[in-house]
Amino acid sequence: MVGRAFVDHYYHLFDNERASLPSLYQPTSMLTFEGQKIVGVDDISSKLNQLSFDQCRHVVSTIDSQPSAFTGGVVVFVSGSLQLPGEEHHLRFSQMFHLIPTPQGNFFVQNDIFRLNYG
Amino acid sequence: MDPDQLSRAFVEHYYSAFDANRAGLGILYQDESMLTFEGQKIQGSQNIVAKLTSLPFQQCQHSITTVDCQPSGPAGGMLVFVSGNLQLAGEQHALKFSQGFEVRSD
Repeated sequence: MVGRAFVDHYYHLFDNERASLPSLYQPTSMLTFEGQKIVGVDDISSKLNQLSFDQCRHVVSTIDSQPSAFTGGVVVFVSGSLQLPGEEHHLRFSQMFHLIPTPQGNFFVQNDIFRLNYG
Repeated sequence: MDPDQLSRAFVEHYYSAFDANRAGLGILYQDESMLTFEGQKIQGSQNIVAKLTSLPFQQCQHSITTVDCQPSGPAGGMLVFVSGNLQLAGEQHALKFSQGFEVRSD
């Protein structure tokens, strides 16, 4: 349930309000984007804002969640497709998140790994 | 060994064991371990091995395309994210897969 709600929120922000995405990360957060490792809110924010497309739409196919070894943490595994304007073919992707609860009762993204799936 | 080396070693070990002798994977899991396989949730080493050894193919070969890892945060451990191909005996086309692991030292 947490996984699904989080994923919907994450991709909604990504597709509509990318500048707000950094609010989901903290200084210890790590993103590996197509093999490139990025740590911390500022650098993650720069990376996401500098992606080579202004608009996109994530369409999620599968969401799987499990509790992580961290008390209250959740590992979420997503697959889906990424539509870019003007592109006929969608890109397929997989993404893994590790969510950790905040004192306020939300979750933040401690770990984020993104890969396009080719072929 | 640095985390990247460790995760690659883990991945190599896991899929070699999977492809050679699936029943041997049991030692990699514990009672609290969880597997979600194509949406089906399974918990505990015995149940996981039962699932993996009952898959509808005798032979398979995993070939790994990408391995990404990150330390999983305050509780220790490592997240490992794999993508690759699964070739089944007698099938013309390989299946593409992705798999995520949370690995901890015991």
